[in-house]
Amino acid sequence: MSGRPDLGRADLVSMLAELTAKPVDQVPHRVGSMELAWLVHLVEQRYDRRMDLTDDQLAGIRTVDDALAVFRTSLTSPADG
Amino acid sequence: MDRPTENLTAQDPAWVDDVLLAGPATDICLRLPEAVDRGTLRQLVGDAQTRLAAAGLRPGGAAALRLPPSLAYVVNLLATWRSGAQAILLDHRLTDHEVDRALQRLTPQVVVAPVRTGGGALRIFVDVTEGVTAHSAQPAVSGHAVIQLSSGSTGPSKVIGRTAADLVAEVHRYTRIDGVALPGERIILLPSMVHVLGLVGGLLYGLHANVELVPPERLGGDAILAAIRAQDTPATVLGVPFHIGLLASTRADGPLPQLKRMTTGGELVPAATAQAFADRFGVPLGNMYGMTEVGVIGTDLYGRHRPSIMPAPGIEVREVGGELRVSCPASPYVGLSDPSRWADGWLHTRDAGTVDPATGLVTVKGRLDSQVSVGGLKVDLTEVEATLTGLPGVAAAVVVYDDGITAYVQPDGPLSEEVLEKLLAERLAGYKRPRTLHLVDQLPRTTTGKLVRAVPVLRAAAP
Repeated sequence: MSGRPDLGRADLVSMLAELTAKPVDQVPHRVGSMELAWLVHLVEQRYDRRMDLTDDQLAGIRTVDDALAVFRTSLTSPADG
Repeated sequence: MDRPTENLTAQDPAWVDDVLLAGPATDICLRLPEAVDRGTLRQLVGDAQTRLAAAGLRPGGAAALRLPPSLAYVVNLLATWRSGAQAILLDHRLTDHEVDRALQRLTPQVVVAPVRTGGGALRIFVDVTEGVTAHSAQPAVSGHAVIQLSSGSTGPSKVIGRTAADLVAEVHRYTRIDGVALPGERIILLPSMVHVLGLVGGLLYGLHANVELVPPERLGGDAILAAIRAQDTPATVLGVPFHIGLLASTRADGPLPQLKRMTTGGELVPAATAQAFADRFGVPLGNMYGMTEVGVIGTDLYGRHRPSIMPAPGIEVREVGGELRVSCPASPYVGLSDPSRWADGWLHTRDAGTVDPATGLVTVKGRLDSQVSVGGLKVDLTEVEATLTGLPGVAAAVVVYDDGITAYVQPDGPLSEEVLEKLLAERLAGYKRPRTLHLVDQLPRTTTGKLVRAVPVLRAAAP
């Protein structure tokens, strides 16, 4: 992942905390469409690359853990693929 | 170039050409990002009229558009109106169940829906190939040009109709508001064109005033910046408060001389958010207040009166018993006669607020119906709800008055009623605490993600 530390669950939770203005231990585990757009935006910014996600991939994300799995898969695929 | 519009009906389609499609054929209307000029749009609308007619749409009938924001949506909407028919706008996120119920009530002659969509995730504008299917042979249920289903999170579901004359009047209202995008400029369009802000404030005003409409390639901060930078002309970003954060969280990587203003509707922007935006971009952050029933009611496009707004030209706002009422000549509700919502030319907004007699400035202070009386003491349910929502272990909560203060709580992990009550007791006075607590796996939400507050729906969610 471009030499940066692997994306972890705590990273996503702190990104959501920024959005919701809640302490990290109070961030909901369930994510909606706006939270997802926010996470994609910040993860792409952090890794300086675009995650080419499909509608189906996004539709399957219900929780922070789901998002983490999809993002990690996307980030470990070849950047030019 | 406009003809008198006060007597327009859906069956008189001339307003589409006069108000929306007039102008040089080479003017750019949309950038998707490929440019769609007025001549091309007129051609596409004409072709779509032929398809709609072939499927059974007649003047005085209705077409239901179940399309995501797309060129297909724009074209079929204009084609429906140009056919002298009514457009029923169905948010593409509605379930089949919700759509079926709407179609039973509204009897469209044809339904337009995607047969193929593409373009990837987080798209604001979608690539759609649409199909048109015959549905009924009945006329439209009303003479309105557009029908929208209430997306509100309060009260029963409503069917809201607006006449062609009313839509045209709102477009003209926009032209008289200082601070909207001007001819030759661009609107970076983020809200859905199925709902009133994106529909009239974006699409219809843009077509009328020769303002280019530019939906970013997808919903992300960098894509919004790229859309602003794509041309040299001034750009106004139209969105909701969430989009402010998205834009403000992008990396500062050079000047953005095209950005003229950002304007949001939907809800109030916290002062800190507004300040962060101003610090980063140095352009006005405007605010709008409107409703599906009447469109734009007031604006503060220079951010000078936050949180107040000035009524839009031609709109009267008055306060009666703490509630804001807005001038609205005819009831916008279809199949509903409820004097507590509309009476004698006034729409009852159910928003609490004040009107400053000296300046005319309107201040919206939240929903009126969130305040209840418990033993003579006023309790704002919003306060109870906010307290619950802020508790550890609570993902979301809705508090209603249902024979006493009743809370529906969606936990975010293991949570017992006992723990919840103990935590609440530490934060709220006894008279404010819910009399009934329901823990539910998932709170009901509208298709746009808002929490549903209708008591019957909540009761059903917690049997």
